[in-house]
Amino acid sequence: MFHRNPLPTLTRRDALRQLGAGFGTLGLAGVLDSSASAVDVSASPLSPKLPHFAPKAKHVIQLFMPGGPSQVDTFDYKPAIAKCAGQRPEIVDRKSLRNTKNGLMPSPFSFRQYGQCGKWCSDLFPKVGEMVDDICFIHSMHTDIPEHAGAMMMMNAGHLQPSRPSMGSWLVYGLGTENQDLPGFVAMSPRAQPRNKLANWSNAFLPGAYTGTYVNIHDMKPDRIVEDLKNEWLPRADQRRQADLLTRLNQIDLQRQQHDRQLEASIQSMEMAFRMQFAVPDAFDTNQETQSTLDLYGGTEYAKGCLLARRLVERGVRMVQISLSIDGYDIAWDTGHGDIPGGHRRLADACDQGIAALLKDLKQRGMLDETLVIWGGEFGRAPTSEGQKGRDHDHYGFTVWMAGGGIKGGISYGATDEFGLSAVENRVHVHDLHATILHQMGLDHEKLTYRYSGRDYRLTDVHGKVVKELLA
Amino acid sequence: MLLCCTNLLIRRTLGSILGAVFLLPVFLVCRTASSQEGKQFPAEQIEYFEEHIRPLLIKHCYECHSTDAPELKGGLYVDSREGLLKGGDSGSAVDLEDPEHSLLLESVRWESLEMPPDGKLKPDQVEVLRRWVELGAPWPRVTTSDGTMLPSKVDWQKFDWRAAQKEHWAWQPVRRAELPELAPSRNAIDYFVDHKLAEAGLSAMPPAEPRILVRRVYLDLIGIPPTPTQIAAFEKQSAKDSNRAIQDLIEELLSSPLYGQRWARHWLDVARYSDGQGGFLDNTALPQAWRFRDWVVQALNDNMPINRFLQFQIAGDLEQDLELEYPGIATGFFALGPTYRSDGGDPDSVAQAKGETLDDRIDTLTRGLLGITGSCARCHDHKFDPVPQQDYYSLAGVFNNTAIHDMPLADPNVVQTFESHKREVGELDKRRKDLEKKLNNKESELTTDEYAELDVARTRLESLRADPPPGYEIAHALREGGSGDMKVAIRGNLRKTGDLAPRRFLRILTSGENWPLTEGSGRKALAEAIIDPANPLTVRVFVNRIWMHHFGEGLVRTPSNFGVLGEKPTHPKLLDYLADQFVVQGWSLKELHRTIMTSNAYQRSSLHHDGNFRVDGGNRLLWRMSPRRMDVEAWRDSLLSVTGELEVSPGGPPFADIVSAKRRTLYAKVSRNGDVYQTDSFLRRFDFPLMRATVAQRPKSIVPQQYLFLLNSRFMIDRAKALVCRIEEVKGEIARIERMYSLLYGRLPSGAEKKLGLEFLTHSAEGENGPLTPWQRYAQVMLSSNEFMFVR
Repeated sequence: MFHRNPLPTLTRRDALRQLGAGFGTLGLAGVLDSSASAVDVSASPLSPKLPHFAPKAKHVIQLFMPGGPSQVDTFDYKPAIAKCAGQRPEIVDRKSLRNTKNGLMPSPFSFRQYGQCGKWCSDLFPKVGEMVDDICFIHSMHTDIPEHAGAMMMMNAGHLQPSRPSMGSWLVYGLGTENQDLPGFVAMSPRAQPRNKLANWSNAFLPGAYTGTYVNIHDMKPDRIVEDLKNEWLPRADQRRQADLLTRLNQIDLQRQQHDRQLEASIQSMEMAFRMQFAVPDAFDTNQETQSTLDLYGGTEYAKGCLLARRLVERGVRMVQISLSIDGYDIAWDTGHGDIPGGHRRLADACDQGIAALLKDLKQRGMLDETLVIWGGEFGRAPTSEGQKGRDHDHYGFTVWMAGGGIKGGISYGATDEFGLSAVENRVHVHDLHATILHQMGLDHEKLTYRYSGRDYRLTDVHGKVVKELLA
Repeated sequence: MLLCCTNLLIRRTLGSILGAVFLLPVFLVCRTASSQEGKQFPAEQIEYFEEHIRPLLIKHCYECHSTDAPELKGGLYVDSREGLLKGGDSGSAVDLEDPEHSLLLESVRWESLEMPPDGKLKPDQVEVLRRWVELGAPWPRVTTSDGTMLPSKVDWQKFDWRAAQKEHWAWQPVRRAELPELAPSRNAIDYFVDHKLAEAGLSAMPPAEPRILVRRVYLDLIGIPPTPTQIAAFEKQSAKDSNRAIQDLIEELLSSPLYGQRWARHWLDVARYSDGQGGFLDNTALPQAWRFRDWVVQALNDNMPINRFLQFQIAGDLEQDLELEYPGIATGFFALGPTYRSDGGDPDSVAQAKGETLDDRIDTLTRGLLGITGSCARCHDHKFDPVPQQDYYSLAGVFNNTAIHDMPLADPNVVQTFESHKREVGELDKRRKDLEKKLNNKESELTTDEYAELDVARTRLESLRADPPPGYEIAHALREGGSGDMKVAIRGNLRKTGDLAPRRFLRILTSGENWPLTEGSGRKALAEAIIDPANPLTVRVFVNRIWMHHFGEGLVRTPSNFGVLGEKPTHPKLLDYLADQFVVQGWSLKELHRTIMTSNAYQRSSLHHDGNFRVDGGNRLLWRMSPRRMDVEAWRDSLLSVTGELEVSPGGPPFADIVSAKRRTLYAKVSRNGDVYQTDSFLRRFDFPLMRATVAQRPKSIVPQQYLFLLNSRFMIDRAKALVCRIEEVKGEIARIERMYSLLYGRLPSGAEKKLGLEFLTHSAEGENGPLTPWQRYAQVMLSSNEFMFVR
């Protein structure tokens, strides 16, 4: 495998200047060019790289809702359903995964208007509702298949099978990250990992430096977030002495070899590892927050993930993904098959306050402008019923919302049909969403490529177009 | 779907491939005019189309007549001009000669067919369609919309394959190099290498010191460093006769069983070997995968001719061999590949998963064995190499007729006896359960006959179970499954098919002649095509891989892509010389090692040289040996070896526990996604690639996570403790430090190094007595050093 980075690589000096940082904070690990050529000194795989053009956002927080939340019970208000309850108009008579044949089922939740923009939201998300003026709803999302595993891979990696790099890995590959003492991409969930597990934040064929670091919010131990982060044997002073000896021996060796980029990189990398041991637990320590901040977020595990996301982004982490899970279920929102009123209520309660708090908190700190927040599942749920009070999968149309990061607030884009099944107006495929996200981060989705298996890969494959109408 | 790489590539790496791009498409472009209706429409007509026609087609027709249609109706595509002209089941939809009677217009007027079926178009809509057809159905030439099959830019029927072969070095036959008379001691490799060095005005580095060289040879051939005794012995021999010393050493190591354990791993990278099938959730284990791994180890230790080695891996189940009892085990090469599944049975998803699985086979075959990026022709003709999409499906057909099964490793009689016993027990037991259920049910009673039957069943079961026949082992292997051709899948979608793709070998490698792959699945003939001496790629690609493992880089630095976008060989004549010799010498891998390792080029020092480095920093001309970090297998094995813990037992099922296991790293368990076992996480941290696709070359990364492992992991602490145990009997601090240096680095420490060690030990003893002694802390540092991790 060989690695040709399409982006202009910074020299180390450029990077240092741009960061305004000293040598100490900039790691020099390297995905090493095997040629070890004198002229081709690329910086660390994680050090900041220039985007293709001026970015609107610097960080992404993805609030991932695995299992498929129902659009018509949350943000895509369709009063027509109630008028035709029990009927099955032709327009909703499309094949679903389980081939359900029932009629339309009105939402068990009540809707009202929120914000200056008067957005209709259900009472599942009253706190998010208060933030609608900062949110851009995309109601015309659609994806390729109505199966969880494949659709989740599509949402997180742009491909139906778990064999491609995740969006977070692409972002860190393209842009590096701003804090060399922390992972560039962190994926979190309480209890269960979302279906496909690691594939959702995998670097796949990109170099290992770009993989997502997973954190289980439920039993999180700040000093175990990264494997082997904590030294169980030695106090810090003794460890330092060991590290100093190792550096000395490696320097002696480097002098003998005279010139070897790999050796130089490894010395820097060891120092970085040493610092990570202390920087990572610090970033994950929410005890440092004020009581009012803690109160703002509330006590759910998902909310804790939201708070951690803010702390990480604040420290320069490029992307954070927080997947919702309760009861250890890997596709939480799929309880919608049997029980929309109960299941959706519990799930929304587990995340509504945390999500709203995250938006508020980012806004208060002036960070929302440069942080792109994305909410949504891998698909939605049909307006027709499955069984008594459930809904089957719906990949023909669903809702995703974005906030911050140079996206227009207080707007709704695209539309499903009058009952909310299929995206009909200004359709947005997942590839288009990805293209738009990369665009906000200053990356051209057609230029962010990686050569593997003899060909160039992209997050958006051969598809995707930036949805310009969403950009502020 | 694959990424269409043309535009991107041209835009991005214009500089580096300009030559290639301009040279190559001569054969691709020259026929464009004839096959593509090169009609250019005026801009205003295109505008008319975009404004009025395309939206109308999308809104009213695409649902049934486009590539995006859930189910294509009437075989008609209206999402491209070609689709409309070609028409569907009822014939051409647009008649340019007689526009007014075009089926399209008749249908929307509900005169013949009634389209769209859910309601007539408005009269003005019909009118714009009429006008558009009258204009000649203008359509933008470059369309981003999906359409019918991408029109071939080349008329492959008339394509001049022989001319195409002349366009690119790799398609041409291997040429036997003409060598001048060489001194008997001179290796032919040096003739080629020295010639290039002289041309560039570079001076080769002197030979490496014996203690460096012996470590290099050990790590290269068996993946374990030499002991101080072995180093001393070699130095002594070398002082007497250096040529003889290295020859003897190579012989000794090639005949060690450790050799196969080392080199098998290189091949397993090509085979994307894993202990799990992959796909969603990675839940299908391949518990017998190790049999293939052990087969490779054995074949290499036995120096099996590489043509047979490859043949067995493609069609071993169809081959007889006097020495191998079960050559079918070798087909694990394909049978152990990732098998993709759907997560819910959605038809699109099922088709997509099947396409992906077939693509794995094609990719492994073409890149792994031929250095051709065959997968690029899955959705359209290859953009750079002469591989038509049809050729892709000609090969895919072979694997479409091939099934994976659990192949019994036993005499058929044993299998039959075991299986019939199993069946009989199963049937009897079911009958027994039914009868007992009836017996216990208050509402029913057994008849006398049934009582008797139950008695007999119980007795018979008891005796059957008391004396079971011997069981048998299995291997995951290929078998024949059919003999049909596939159709070309339009844009890679197996649910939308085009022309038939008769099974035959890649035409660029047969000069366009038909090499049929039609008997059975076609695998037997495919294997023959791969190892045919006239096939210029198999040998070159294989020899180049071996070269890469000895030198760090291949003569072709894109080892799985010899196509137009691959790199050209740095030493083309040398590559052909080695390829030719390889066949002449009976495809003997061990002979190839001897040839390479006895060259001066291989034995050079790896030291830096400013002048040379400025001219050739990438060492393309081989003025020195490139220093390299060990791969993860050699590194872990070396750690266990210097601490005296390594178990060099032969194969068998893999281990997953990296902390306690002491077996060679080759035997570590590997999941397809690299996320299941403890071994995965360890291996992946040190650049072990994802076993999803055939691996051309390992990435080389240095990241802090690796150092967290060195500083903090239990594995390293345990090694440090073991190392200290090993040197404990040595008396005196300085003597112990010296012992550690010889064991780990094969040399004695300098004064400064000794002093550093002593100081560290003294200071470490000052503080509290933690769980680690000063010596253990010192040992951990010594084991973590670059000098240990690098091969020079």
